[in-house]
Amino acid sequence: MFYIHQATCISPQQTFSGTKIDLSREYESVDNRMKVLEPPYPDIPDNILRRMAKAVRMGVGTAIPLIQGAGDHPPAGIIIGTANGGMEESVKFLKQIIEYKEDMLTPGNFVQSIPNAISSQISLLSKNKGYNTTHVHRGLAFENAVLDAAMLLKENPRSSYLVGGVDEIATYHHNLENLAGSYKKEAISSRHLYETDSPGTIAGEGAALFLVNGLPEHALARVRALATIHSEEESVVTRQLQDFLDGHVASGDEKSSVAGAKPDLFLTGENGDNRIAHFYAGCEGILDREIPVARYKHMSGEYPTAIAFALWVACQLVGGALKLPSHMIKRGTVPAAGISPVYKNILLYNNYKGIQHSFMLISRVD
Amino acid sequence: MSRVFITGMGVISAIGNTTAENHRALIAGNCGITKGANFPSRYAGVLPFGEILIPTSALQEQLRVSDTGVTRTTLLALHAFKEAIADAGLSPSQLMSPDTALVGATTVGGMCLMDQMFDDANKNTGGSDFLSSYDCASVNMFLQAHYKMKGLVNTINTACSSSSNAILYGARLIKNGFAKRVLVGGADSLSKFTINGFNALHILSPEICAPFDRDRQGLNLGEGAAFLVLEGEDVPRREEAPGHRKVYAELTGYCNTNDAYHPSSLSGDGPYLAMKGALQSAQLSEDRIDFINAHGTGTENNDEVESRVMLSLFGTPPPFSSAKSNIGHTLGAAGAVEAVYSILNLVHQEIYAGLNFKEPIPATGLRPVQAYQKMSLEHVMSNSFGFGGNCTSLIFSKA
Repeated sequence: MFYIHQATCISPQQTFSGTKIDLSREYESVDNRMKVLEPPYPDIPDNILRRMAKAVRMGVGTAIPLIQGAGDHPPAGIIIGTANGGMEESVKFLKQIIEYKEDMLTPGNFVQSIPNAISSQISLLSKNKGYNTTHVHRGLAFENAVLDAAMLLKENPRSSYLVGGVDEIATYHHNLENLAGSYKKEAISSRHLYETDSPGTIAGEGAALFLVNGLPEHALARVRALATIHSEEESVVTRQLQDFLDGHVASGDEKSSVAGAKPDLFLTGENGDNRIAHFYAGCEGILDREIPVARYKHMSGEYPTAIAFALWVACQLVGGALKLPSHMIKRGTVPAAGISPVYKNILLYNNYKGIQHSFMLISRVD
Repeated sequence: MSRVFITGMGVISAIGNTTAENHRALIAGNCGITKGANFPSRYAGVLPFGEILIPTSALQEQLRVSDTGVTRTTLLALHAFKEAIADAGLSPSQLMSPDTALVGATTVGGMCLMDQMFDDANKNTGGSDFLSSYDCASVNMFLQAHYKMKGLVNTINTACSSSSNAILYGARLIKNGFAKRVLVGGADSLSKFTINGFNALHILSPEICAPFDRDRQGLNLGEGAAFLVLEGEDVPRREEAPGHRKVYAELTGYCNTNDAYHPSSLSGDGPYLAMKGALQSAQLSEDRIDFINAHGTGTENNDEVESRVMLSLFGTPPPFSSAKSNIGHTLGAAGAVEAVYSILNLVHQEIYAGLNFKEPIPATGLRPVQAYQKMSLEHVMSNSFGFGGNCTSLIFSKA
């Protein structure tokens, strides 16, 4: 599909490039919620920063280093996946509507509430007049952004694009998800997320952005293929995984490229919710026993575009910038100290609320 | 890369519940903008809106939807979707095929139920039936589940250009081999949320909107939905086969740009680049465009900027008008509803009047089409510009 040349991530862990990237120290959830470690944003003018919703701040904050890094070859467009980009501002605006009885309102919250505020603020601050879009398809919003980038690079092979996934968890949205039964009723620590046997997970948030193009030279990682499906049936999902591994991917992708790249790590979005654990177990069962399995939601929490965080982690692993920390490993062994195994092909599987599923294959660039 | 054809259409708006009703209303120059009152807002009955005068419960009954948590936006989408698939003659198995994709757009989504959402978000209740219905994805999640679709599904929100981008994305899925046919469209319903948002920005007109008029006072919000069936190159070849499909038009050009100027007003660079880019992708020179379905919201900023851009790009612009004067601004549905109108222009070789125009904007002197007329048309451009500077132009061509 394409090559990732730079990646930035603001998450509940120490992942932002401005600080030292370190996943060995685990930042834990508080009240079943993982909040991002927000960096200072020295490059966003104060008067603009003040008005920005958190999702917009995180999105712009992760975009700026990539745009600066792109230098004389600015991206030809900006593609953002966000499910709830503006929901918090929407409820704030609604609060105004109710409190002031629909009269004399200020439009700030309304303008910030529009989900395309993230991609449009990035284009505004970087004067980018190219392709600009926002995918909001809940648990597959980021995957659609990835597919969009893949198509753009087929159409314009010499260009590069900024593609990312951004979602925040804030009070109002947290309340809605809580009422819907998305989070665990009992207080747990993210360290023990996978040991619980109860419905629900922990809340999370984050932003991960990628500078991508069609050129392998000096790339961090390659995104080989992507498959998505809506289904509540485990057998449909495992069949999809088998087809994916056999190279039966959408005809828009190069089939042989997937079949020839056997995964050496399975990185899954398992999230401690016992209602959907069987999907993950079913998919693990499809893969050869010797393929190690790792998990990431104890670091990111659950949110609709969390797979963007996983893609960032996968980039660091195949690029050799990070060693797989032992707390991520579910199946297989922790590599001995000093030995840094280099993963060649990492298979990602994410499942959002037992309905939206995706598989993504990430490869090392030799 | 495959060519992309439109083989089915469905639309519901303030001037009609079907494509045929919309077509008749456009010919007659009907205006569906009223001071209606079927939605909860202090402005209901006060300001004019392009409201669909069917209560949500009646829509639910008509469509035989008994599921809980289904919003008005979703019902409008379903209404248009149903018409489009029937029009194209798509079978349930074709809809369930992995190479049939769905790309819908909305800006309001489930936020037409703002009062419930506010209560839920503040935990004033034990949780309503709509907890999973407030986001934009809820509309297409419903359609996917309802028709058991297995292909790619996406939801796009780029404000007022959302469903033009859904059309663009769907076409590219076909061209890049990710789908053989795609249901593309958009839906939005009137909401206290958007009404107050646009009102706070001082761009809601107290009168029925007058696109491109010197004395225009802003836009009227509307509601509606439209879906189109896009199919790849092998469609026309089926024409000899029994049960062949009609081909309404071809989508020949598209371009998405950003104005990169201001969160809620336009400079002109984005619209210029979008229109020019669409011409380039269709490999057409400016003089080949026979008609422009303008964005023409009736705001001070949009109409002047769009006029200036048409002048600088086309020199003498082709005939143009804005359907916002018939149905109001349907936001996330506008691009798809007006795509249907642009295709009706081509199919029937006719153009429809822009309503309420009296005097041109002094700086540009442009006059929209003011009377229904027959006209020979090969290529029609349709513009959609949105908040956040998101601009998209599409070009439809005679099949």
